[in-house]
Amino acid sequence: MHPTKSGRWITQTVSSTYLTEAVAIWLRDLRSEFRTRYAVNSILMFALTTLVAVSFSIGSFRIEESERPFLYAVLLWIILVFSALSGLSRSFVKEQEAGTMDILKLSARPQAVFLGKLFFNLTMLGALELIIVPAFILLMEYKIRFPGCFAAMMVTGGIGLGAGTTLVAAMIAQADARGALFSALSFPLLLPLIITAIKGSERAAYGISAAGWPEVKIAAAYAVIMITVSLLLFPLIWEE
Amino acid sequence: MIFKILLTIWMSVTIFAAFLCIEPAAGFPGEVSRILFFHVPTAWVATLAFFLSMIASCVYLITRKVNADFLAQSSAELGFLFCFLATVTGSIFAKSTWGSFWNWDPRQTSIVMLLMIYGAYFVLRSAVPDHEKRRVFAGVYSILAFCTVPFLVFIVPRITSSLHPEDTLNPAGSGMDTKTLILFLSSLFAYTGLFVWMLRLKVRMLKIMDKEQGVKFKV
Repeated sequence: MHPTKSGRWITQTVSSTYLTEAVAIWLRDLRSEFRTRYAVNSILMFALTTLVAVSFSIGSFRIEESERPFLYAVLLWIILVFSALSGLSRSFVKEQEAGTMDILKLSARPQAVFLGKLFFNLTMLGALELIIVPAFILLMEYKIRFPGCFAAMMVTGGIGLGAGTTLVAAMIAQADARGALFSALSFPLLLPLIITAIKGSERAAYGISAAGWPEVKIAAAYAVIMITVSLLLFPLIWEE
Repeated sequence: MIFKILLTIWMSVTIFAAFLCIEPAAGFPGEVSRILFFHVPTAWVATLAFFLSMIASCVYLITRKVNADFLAQSSAELGFLFCFLATVTGSIFAKSTWGSFWNWDPRQTSIVMLLMIYGAYFVLRSAVPDHEKRRVFAGVYSILAFCTVPFLVFIVPRITSSLHPEDTLNPAGSGMDTKTLILFLSSLFAYTGLFVWMLRLKVRMLKIMDKEQGVKFKV
């Protein structure tokens, strides 16, 4: 990204708040992403390739009707999680590669940087889910009994994914062997979320009632905890 | 030195007593229940070590004293070792009572989760070349990981039921007679002593290595 262009977006003014700074960083990242389309392309291609592989090898009628809700939830979340892990680290790695990290440190407060990057990652995840989830439902004949609960599970699960990985992305951007490290570090943190999301999707597709949406609440709690802890810890790794 | 000798005697006596002085608990096939004196203490030490490591990380992040990080690293490494031992001994117990070494019992899930978190912790440590940065990152990661543990401890067990014997062999429960309880506590004490001894060795080693590296850089 060209420094003068970026400079206009991240300049800190006296009256700027955390939120305006965060939104400025978010918009700047979106703009730079629209120009290169690196993260979005790699995430989507990874997801589509996996989806095609799953659909091709399993098809829509290979799995018994009674087994489908659980197995489909597992397959869907494996596709989503590993696609996300393939590209979400870009948000910080690209700053490191372009050498813009120091300027970003000077221009915005750490929490605002974290929030901006989180918003950007959530945008990426939203785009990923908007394309992959309907495609998965169509290709695999995934019948969902409670669409509202299913949609809420996708949204909270996606937010949890973003919340659990953004701080790790900031760390691995400053480490060696970035690509492999990101998955290795993120996966243990995401495991509780993945288990919950799979259970929730299964319940939405098959359960007797979706009353209370317990898994959605657990995923939301996970997201809130991870975002709060990350906001507290982020300044430590950012100002090193 | 005297600590080492006392510990050796204490551990040997405990191990002998675990095999010779206690009747196998009812309700378990054969001699299986004797694992209580070896499996539970390793699991306890692993928990203690990981908790200590997390606290030491917090202390390091606040005070930036290198010694706190040495403690965090040593404690995490020893915790990993004891966690691995707990996994293996637990797996042997699972084979002889439930019929398979591994069946994703919630207890097994959470212990594997711990192994994965600390595996990732060591990978992170080895991947950051700068010393100062490495310490901060390791501390941050260990706090972040610690925040996900309640989900596995409290939520996963509710989704699936556990076969882990707690009521039958719980030290607080009525299922353990006085003799067993005394030996169990003595075994806990012995393993904790072993952990403390190993921890002190490890911290001393890290300090010496750090000093040597400093000398090398000066020359």
